[in-house]
Amino acid sequence: MAIRKDANGGAKWNAPTGRRTDEWSQALVLVGESQDRGAFTRFFRHFAPLIKAFALSGSSLSAAHADELVQEVMLKVWQKAGGFNPEKAAASTWVYTIARNCRTDMFRRLQKFDTQLAADDFELESEEEESFVVLHTRRGAERVRELMGELPPDQAQILAKVYMEGKSHSEAAAELDLPLGTVKSRVRLAIQKLQGMMEA
Amino acid sequence: MVQHHPPTDFLTEYAASALPVAQSACVAAHLSYCQRCRQAVERLEDIGGAHFERLDPQPVGDSLLERVLARLDDPQPLRYAPNEASDTQLPGLLDRLINGDYADLVWKRVTQSLSVSYLKTGDPNHEFALYRIAEGGRIPEHTHGGREMTLVLHGGFADESGDYHQGDFIVREGWDKHTPVALEGEECICLAVMDAPLQFTRLRHRWLNPLLKLHAG
Repeated sequence: MAIRKDANGGAKWNAPTGRRTDEWSQALVLVGESQDRGAFTRFFRHFAPLIKAFALSGSSLSAAHADELVQEVMLKVWQKAGGFNPEKAAASTWVYTIARNCRTDMFRRLQKFDTQLAADDFELESEEEESFVVLHTRRGAERVRELMGELPPDQAQILAKVYMEGKSHSEAAAELDLPLGTVKSRVRLAIQKLQGMMEA
Repeated sequence: MVQHHPPTDFLTEYAASALPVAQSACVAAHLSYCQRCRQAVERLEDIGGAHFERLDPQPVGDSLLERVLARLDDPQPLRYAPNEASDTQLPGLLDRLINGDYADLVWKRVTQSLSVSYLKTGDPNHEFALYRIAEGGRIPEHTHGGREMTLVLHGGFADESGDYHQGDFIVREGWDKHTPVALEGEECICLAVMDAPLQFTRLRHRWLNPLLKLHAG
């Protein structure tokens, strides 16, 4: 698992400053509005190493495929930046969803999976949401980041496996040698806790 | 107004792209009807985003940046264009799989009031099928060998546990027995994703079971 560890072996969850998040949102807006290659290059230098780490999570892709994934994701970032809405999503979540979709498609290609559906087809066309909804979503994103560190390690570990390795609950159970019910209840507790804290 | 939603388990696996493609497509189709679940998925994706930004960065060489910069002006791949002529008003994803109207599909008759059409998602373990029940028609009592996800696309039906309308999402486990009846006034069309075939339970319908072997793929 490629999550940064602190001296005690626990995952480090320092909340980033608001400015950092804004820096990447602004870079994306510049790319989207004026095809700014300088902003894109800054964005690449920050996110490409994270995309590569994501590709290698669960170590199911080779280094060559991981580099291919980085290229695919960053090209999509360039093409889709015009649709990024900084009021609605955090830049990291936006890049995560693109990386997730590209990785899913790559897995299916590598398994010679015969499907006419690409993961992007599952995305809904963006629509105008009412402003209170937008505020709620944005605040939620910031809170999730802050609150992640308050989860017990056993719950945090399984969330990381599900999200970063794209493992289903039953695959996570097999790999961690835990009963499926235990995995499900840890995920459920973690999500409830995050949602409960978000609404508090 | 959508009343029945996927459990949070499914939405979490959906947000993490951990569901098999047929189940994922069924959840995605529900989202197109349900703002509440769309927002829930956005929040669940934020959990992914928060993990993502804390991954341990892996070195990426400048040559990769150069290669990407060199490709920025490449023409973009063609995207699938929605079928303008379709009058089914389906979620985009299903519109793509159906590629026309309900009438263009191959429907196989199971009973007088029930027919089925199998769609191809490429998922090797799940059947992805549309069930069409005539208005007021009944599906004989059955169980499922495994798990079934159902999404109402048109009309509605009722069974022992309630009424279901357009956009409602229902999960049944193998041991649940039920007898859905289409509501009066219009036919009912549902999408069902199964990992084991439907099994009719009553003696007089059991001879149909071999016809319903799983059509995955």
